[in-house]
Amino acid sequence: MPDVCIYFQVHQPNRLLPYDFFRIGENAVYEDVAMNAAILDKVSDNCYLPANKMFKKLVEENDGRFRMALSISGTAIEQMERYRPDVLDSFRELVATGSVEVLAETYYHSLAFVHSNKEFDRQVEMHLEKLEKVFSVRPRVFRNTELIYNDSIAAKVETMGFDGIIAEGVDWNLNGGSPNFIYQAPEAARIKTILRNTRLSDDLGFRFSDPSWCEFPVTPGKFASWLGDCEGDVVNIFMDYENIGEHQSAETGIFDFWKALPEAIEDQGLQWVTPSESVELYRASREYHSRFITSWADAERDLSAWMGNVMQQEAIAKVHRLEHEILAVNDPELTDTWAKMQTSDHFYWMSTKGGTDGTFHSTMTPYPSPYDAYIYFMNVLADLQIRLRRAQDRQKMLS
Amino acid sequence: MNRLRVLKLGWEFPPLINGGLGVACLGLARALAKHVDLTVLIPKSSRDEASEDFNLLGVNHLTVKDLESVEASYRYEGFAQVRQVPVSLDPYECGECGGSGEVISTGHVVEPGGEAAFSETTQRQLESFRTGELYGSDLGSKVVEFSKIAAKMAMLETFDVIHAHDWMTFLAGVEVKKATGKPLVVHVHALQYDRAGADARGWIYEIEKYGMEQADCVVPVSHYTGFIISSYYGIEIAKIRPVHNGAHPVEVFTMKKKFPEKLVLFLGRLTSQKGPEFFLETASRVIAKNPNVRFVVAGTGDKLRPLIESGAFRGLGGHFHFTGFLDKDKVNDLLSMTDVYCMPSVSEPFGLSALEAAQFGIPAVISKQSGVAEVLKGALKADFWDVELMAKHINDLLSDDELRERVVEQAKHDIAASTWDAAGAKIFEIYREVAS
Repeated sequence: MPDVCIYFQVHQPNRLLPYDFFRIGENAVYEDVAMNAAILDKVSDNCYLPANKMFKKLVEENDGRFRMALSISGTAIEQMERYRPDVLDSFRELVATGSVEVLAETYYHSLAFVHSNKEFDRQVEMHLEKLEKVFSVRPRVFRNTELIYNDSIAAKVETMGFDGIIAEGVDWNLNGGSPNFIYQAPEAARIKTILRNTRLSDDLGFRFSDPSWCEFPVTPGKFASWLGDCEGDVVNIFMDYENIGEHQSAETGIFDFWKALPEAIEDQGLQWVTPSESVELYRASREYHSRFITSWADAERDLSAWMGNVMQQEAIAKVHRLEHEILAVNDPELTDTWAKMQTSDHFYWMSTKGGTDGTFHSTMTPYPSPYDAYIYFMNVLADLQIRLRRAQDRQKMLS
Repeated sequence: MNRLRVLKLGWEFPPLINGGLGVACLGLARALAKHVDLTVLIPKSSRDEASEDFNLLGVNHLTVKDLESVEASYRYEGFAQVRQVPVSLDPYECGECGGSGEVISTGHVVEPGGEAAFSETTQRQLESFRTGELYGSDLGSKVVEFSKIAAKMAMLETFDVIHAHDWMTFLAGVEVKKATGKPLVVHVHALQYDRAGADARGWIYEIEKYGMEQADCVVPVSHYTGFIISSYYGIEIAKIRPVHNGAHPVEVFTMKKKFPEKLVLFLGRLTSQKGPEFFLETASRVIAKNPNVRFVVAGTGDKLRPLIESGAFRGLGGHFHFTGFLDKDKVNDLLSMTDVYCMPSVSEPFGLSALEAAQFGIPAVISKQSGVAEVLKGALKADFWDVELMAKHINDLLSDDELRERVVEQAKHDIAASTWDAAGAKIFEIYREVAS
């Protein structure tokens, strides 16, 4: 019988103001502070605070047998520091129980790996420093933004000293194999790849609250029995933290479900492990080839959620094209502003996909349409470039 | 000599406007009121607008009682075979705001030449003008109803000349002419040819052609449009009398740009007629040569989203900006920062906005397929499709101060002559001719 590993993603982007043409060159404030604070408040009340409290209690009640992992983006930590230190404290208390592992990622929840090795290094390093400072931990497992993964990311992350990396277990790479084993990437020597069990994760992440689902309602006992029936070493249930209380409200019974799950798991004779424990416990018995980039987003499970249309492609390429010049002027504020514009959500909001995924994109967006998202973003970028040139001029005058 | 009395039929009128038509109607009405006694009948007027110089009647404020006395005396003749308007008639349909393609019924049937029982339907006719929009999906039936009400109204008024503006009022003009025998002047501000291209045919085209055929004189806003009227609508040249629009003097100010780059402006509805794609093509050529230029597209329409995507595909974002719809103040702010005005219209009967830009001292690059090209003699011109030449013109204006100075000076000279009073005087002359 496999072990059970859960990890939750905690992330908040810095949403931009409706930055129209007339602000270019004049208004150096890009973020919609009020909206960001309001959304953090809402998500804290619905999800972060009650979920943290619940999981802390579960850890204590189960004498540490219940274990889980969190990945908290740098931008989310910053927002909590700024608007809701009490929420950050509650995360600290949860991590301090010793049963909650923290994972490493890119500080700005970006697609940096796809565009720049150097910027990727910088952001991972920044995130590690931040975690050290805030939680006094040093993660051993890496999860890239939205589980963006391929063979070379695994190899790259290995050189950075991590023991494990998380990926989506996509069907076309598994070729009928099970995601419930620890895998090895072809170009990696030592690092182990942990695959998300797509079906079981999405059962809890999306389908749990859907009355039209044939398995509705799913009880902790029923779900634990599905896990017990799985082959393999470890079943990985990974999802956004907001699925508890925010995307699926308390009325759906999601909190009651999680409260009762550890006991149901125990009744099945299963054990909880964290990602770093699973790479320690299990041998990488098989190879997992992922030549092309995969992710956990949309039906395509690729980069199309952020780079699927020309607006997204242009916006993301133009942000990353500034890297060299921005870093050269060595202005911490400018660098930070630029890096925040790499946050994947900006591009996600520009998606023009239809269908179920399109509907999901549009429920997540703060803007009237993907076109508005693009227009505001490009206007901000134009202003940022003006500021960059001014900084370059100042630098020239000084030298 | 007694003052001439003129019944003017209009569709949009400030403050209820959609484009240049309303602005032009007001400008002309004010100028003509100096020469003639003027009554302006429009479908919808707002109560708060002042019209001291002329009498403004909005159908939305009429009551059945107003028309009672003429119910029996009007015979319905003209186009009464029209029972159903089978298309969605919204020439300014905007992809952003949606639009419907439903079949519109005029609601009741009137036999040609028959004695119609109008008292029963008048109530309903008037009702339709109190609610809804000027260019709603019921535009077709509104146009028909307006003509009937206008004919009844005309019985109550005394006048010497009828003056109808654009196809929405042409049926009304013809009905009034038939009811009263007075001469009809039709004013052409825009044609279906402009909006839908050279192959435009259909209900609106037919109304335009019918109205111009029945008119005693056709007044296009430019020679360019006059040429289309004679060549595409087969109207005899002898009765086509072009009169250029004027421009209200605007309060000109300059605002300092907040960025170092030059600014090239496109202002207008984002429809094929205005040629925004050619602006984008031109922009990509200018930026390739000179990256220190920003292009701004101010306006909205069904071409907005395709245009945004084309811009992104060409990697112009960050240099090619979209403002969406702007109010007058914002437009003026934008004009005060603009270095070059570009109007690449595929077919532009006049192009009032180019004159407004000229008042701000902005040199213009305009398409040869525009009426305003006849007025702004110094503006740099190119065929709308000749994006290479457009780009060259823009680059020249941005780099050659002497050329820029020359174009601006000539434009100042040209706009000095382009007043509504000058237009009004010419139209007064036409009134006198047709009335005698």
